[in-house]
Amino acid sequence: MEPPSLGGWVKLGLNSMMMTVKRRLSRVFSLAAPGLLLPVLLAGCATPPPRTDTVDYQAYQQQNDPLEPTNRVFYTVNDKIDTYAFKPLAQGYVDITTQPIRNHVGDFITNIGEPARWANFMLEGKPTDAGTAFVRFLLNSTIGIGGIFDPAAALGYPETDTDFGMTLAIWGVPAGPYLYLPVFGPSGARDIWNLPVEYFATPMELAPASGALTDFGYAQTGLHLINTRAAFIGPIDQVKATALDPYATFRSLYRQSRDSELQLIDERDTPVPNPWAHR
Amino acid sequence: MYLRRLLLGAIACAPVLAAMPSFAQAALVPADAAKAFITQSGQQLVSVVNSNASGTQKADELRELVNKIVAVDQVGDYVLGRYLNVATPDQHTQFLNLFHQLLSYNITYQIKAYQGLSFVVDGATPMGNDMVVHTTITSPGKAPADVGWAVDEVNGQPKIVDVIVAGTSLRITTRNDYASVVTDNGGQVSALLKAMKGQITKIASAQ
Repeated sequence: MEPPSLGGWVKLGLNSMMMTVKRRLSRVFSLAAPGLLLPVLLAGCATPPPRTDTVDYQAYQQQNDPLEPTNRVFYTVNDKIDTYAFKPLAQGYVDITTQPIRNHVGDFITNIGEPARWANFMLEGKPTDAGTAFVRFLLNSTIGIGGIFDPAAALGYPETDTDFGMTLAIWGVPAGPYLYLPVFGPSGARDIWNLPVEYFATPMELAPASGALTDFGYAQTGLHLINTRAAFIGPIDQVKATALDPYATFRSLYRQSRDSELQLIDERDTPVPNPWAHR
Repeated sequence: MYLRRLLLGAIACAPVLAAMPSFAQAALVPADAAKAFITQSGQQLVSVVNSNASGTQKADELRELVNKIVAVDQVGDYVLGRYLNVATPDQHTQFLNLFHQLLSYNITYQIKAYQGLSFVVDGATPMGNDMVVHTTITSPGKAPADVGWAVDEVNGQPKIVDVIVAGTSLRITTRNDYASVVTDNGGQVSALLKAMKGQITKIASAQ
């Protein structure tokens, strides 16, 4: 049989990529379609207070949550799913694992995200951080046995975090209105773009499509969700027990956390000196 | 024309400028003093949490300690934020009383999960008007947590004015939480007081 020409390889590659995209999209939509249709059906918007009522109007502007009624519906739905499904699963997972095991699972999942971090740091113009993400992936995938261990941190390459939402922020895109998404939880008009990018930017995308890879994808996503939820059992319970309005508290925590991440990226990455600059 | 605008501006700003010295007096607590204060306060907190006393006794001791080391009134006013000007003097007094109670209940609730805790002071850095002391808190079966304690000088004494965990400030979070209750109820501070009373009743019955 004659090997395919260059055009043939490109065509094969595109076909394979399209199949992967279709497979992944169908997974995303099967998970999120019922929830994504709901905003259209509900289309609930908060009524802004009159501009003459300065104190309330300022508070409304600061909250930047014009879809609050719809967001609160999703919060209630997610809260029920969490109470009856995610939290019991996470609690069971905590009961059968130890903190070091959960740390290793966290390391493994962090390692899978390093190529995406590298790409985002490059897009953000943060070469030092991009280099750190690259070296971490290289070291942890090999010496760290597929990322289960984190020898890179001990060698002076600590974990650094970013995502496409942060990249957009560094490009000057404002955070925009707050969004509470079905299944995914707190987000915003800018950060929502992180979801499709994060979904496709994994090393598994480079491997040829197969049933085993699909199963691995499901297992990894499930483990990621449960391991992350397990880490937040205490803080989430605490907010629900102590806040007067847990929805508003989670909104505040999300925004502060994103601002803090952005500040950390700016503080950490020292600019590379320009070799052509006059000394 | 420009000179006239400058002079008018200066006259308009005079009351603000006159008030400036009162802000200037609130000097930044030196890093070493802030670290020493947090070390001492932390040791007191650890001894209460890790003691074999009963739950009620621990809660009483914690309440006393919180009132001693935290600038509760100042934090309360910060949390009330823009509604401080809307609240009547009676509502303000009621708010501060309820805030004292809720803060104690919340700290008691949170600290329950930290039996066997220990902490290390890592350093201190200025942040705005406050000196933030960075600590690492460890407790059995939990991942270590980096917690920052914002220290400010209140009536000549160092006091805790905020707790910062993973870049999130407790007083800003609480302020947004309370503001949401007020705005959802047509800007009524009375609705906030009612919600706080409801929360105290809920926590008290659960304990």
